[in-house]
Amino acid sequence: MIWAAAGAALIGVFAPGLRAEPLRWHGFFEYAFGGRWVEDQTKHDRYNMLEQRLQLKTDYFFSGGDILGRWKSQFVFKGDFLVDEYFGGKTDFALREANMVMSPADFMDVRVGRQVLTWGTGDYLFINDAFPKDYVSFYIGRDDEYLKKPSDALRFSFYTDAANADFVLITHAEPNTLPDGQRLSFFDSFQRGVAGTNSDRMLVEPGWQAENFEYALRFFRNFGSNEGALYVFRGFDKSPRSYLNEAARELFYERQDIFGASIRGPFAGGIGNVEFGYVHSPQDDHGDNRLIENSMLKAMAGYEKDLGGDLKIGFQYYYEQKLDYEGYTEALLPLDYFWDEYRHLLTNRITKFFKNQTVAVSLFTFFSPSDLDGYFRGYVSYDMTDQWKLTWGVNIPWGGDTHTEFAQMRRDKNVYVRVRYSF
Amino acid sequence: MKKVLCIVFGCGLLLGTAVRVEAGDPTAEEIVRKANRIAYYQGKDGRARVEMTVTDAQGRARQRVMSILRLDIGDDAEQKYYVYFHRPTDVKGMAYIVWKHPGLDDDRWLYLPALDLVRRIAASDKRSSFAGTNFLYEDISGRGLALDTHELAGGDDKTYEIKNTPKDKGTVEFSYYVTRINKDSFVPVMAEYYDKNGKLYRRMEAVETKEIQGYLTITKMKATDLNASSSTIAIFDNVEYDIGLEEDVFSERYLRKPPFQWIKD
Repeated sequence: MIWAAAGAALIGVFAPGLRAEPLRWHGFFEYAFGGRWVEDQTKHDRYNMLEQRLQLKTDYFFSGGDILGRWKSQFVFKGDFLVDEYFGGKTDFALREANMVMSPADFMDVRVGRQVLTWGTGDYLFINDAFPKDYVSFYIGRDDEYLKKPSDALRFSFYTDAANADFVLITHAEPNTLPDGQRLSFFDSFQRGVAGTNSDRMLVEPGWQAENFEYALRFFRNFGSNEGALYVFRGFDKSPRSYLNEAARELFYERQDIFGASIRGPFAGGIGNVEFGYVHSPQDDHGDNRLIENSMLKAMAGYEKDLGGDLKIGFQYYYEQKLDYEGYTEALLPLDYFWDEYRHLLTNRITKFFKNQTVAVSLFTFFSPSDLDGYFRGYVSYDMTDQWKLTWGVNIPWGGDTHTEFAQMRRDKNVYVRVRYSF
Repeated sequence: MKKVLCIVFGCGLLLGTAVRVEAGDPTAEEIVRKANRIAYYQGKDGRARVEMTVTDAQGRARQRVMSILRLDIGDDAEQKYYVYFHRPTDVKGMAYIVWKHPGLDDDRWLYLPALDLVRRIAASDKRSSFAGTNFLYEDISGRGLALDTHELAGGDDKTYEIKNTPKDKGTVEFSYYVTRINKDSFVPVMAEYYDKNGKLYRRMEAVETKEIQGYLTITKMKATDLNASSSTIAIFDNVEYDIGLEEDVFSERYLRKPPFQWIKD
């Protein structure tokens, strides 16, 4: 509440004229429980989510004759209060959005502050979207909204007849939130297998300094009904895939540059998309450092079709390849875990609505023919009224190996239920 | 024929006036074309705040409140729409854009503000529910005139009755629909849909019309699903025509930064 009050006070400072029109607050209260049925070494055997959440959001449009009004400025605020029973009722506040967007010129928008950033064409798959994500929320069954973490950033968008461009400056490289053994078990190479609370590795984040700013650039335009985009990203891998100090069990986020492109448009009676990216690992230029992630090529193609009757179906194929695999394998030591050169991944999404779209069923399947693992996530949601919504879902990662993406999560299967009241 | 419906609804925005019939009754094609023109091509653009109340068989009500912007592109058929949701609050800020291409699939984009995600929507089924109401997407974005054959089936001293039969029955759930079009104004006042067994199962009505800036405008409409006993009432207010919308409003830029000067609730 203190934060909300502070936010409101801040807006008061920004826009004194606001008092004429009080801010309208919206949001929701949600209770969520995710039970598990596979024992492992995490903090609680029986469940991996038990929490109550209050989200408050507001926005304000400046329409006065002052500079903010002339720039058609908008202020957006969204914050979550969380009581997390998984960690003994720990309370938390997460500021998800607090930003101001302005149009200082006809051809330009500027958004400054904490904001969620997304681009690219994949469905739960990301190549050129190197913005931070929360895979813990993803696997325990929180709303999709929580897959994306906000960034503290300055975003300039330019719109011209020839093309449009986004330039994003991120002042703090926020890493992904990944399973760490507390809530979800995962593969920890230091423990030589799937680990829970016994995991004791250290993740060393990039320091908060100018040379660690991240830059993301996108050029995009329409070609008739098709959308083309080029992307450049210069920053850090958001997952700690490289070793800083093996003896001290320290991992770090190696530098990463991504150059990519995508196209999306009508195709065979549906929507098709193709995206690729060259992921350069500048700290392992020759690919012969066994401790640092290799450079990679990533590509995907997707297709979605509306079959009628509120039924949609989508497929994606994703491919990645380590580019200096020979150098990598030659550098490996005898007891090192090693990863394959190629990875293939298929996904399928089926969405169907019932009862005037008040009941939604969504089934999403990942399957990797190269890793022989997969992940099924499905849910049924019911909008009982405009205020009350009930969601029931499952997360089922599976596989035989210990260290592939989904197989390492195989003890994290859960069934969750969420009850939400929106206001 | 036509998009009667669409007209009706989609364009609550656009309904126009006053095309008087010259001597004698026009043919079905002429009636349909005039109604279409009146419904779509009056004013270069328009906006409205739309409040839809869905009532189900148990009498439970749900509400959808949105702002709709519309712009005609070129001489006729092409149009662009921008829809911004104000309520229910869990979808507040969601916006979508439709580029309507008569005779082809529309282009649709949906913006989910919580994820900052611009999704491309596969939209080949235009006869699915619009936002969970009893209106269909096609009621909004229109049904191509050439998709149906139109015949004058009767009427009374105030309305023409037109029977519209789809040329390709496989793509729609009705076998035909009958529209009633006002003889003076050419405004469609009712459309009734019959299923494959010839049973009436769906009705759309213009409940209230007002003249706004010289354009006769439907300001209240009702869509009823007779099988499910549910209905939706749509009320259009803040209707304004010729507001000077620019084409770039209907682009990704304004999904991320809604044009509140036009769509304030």
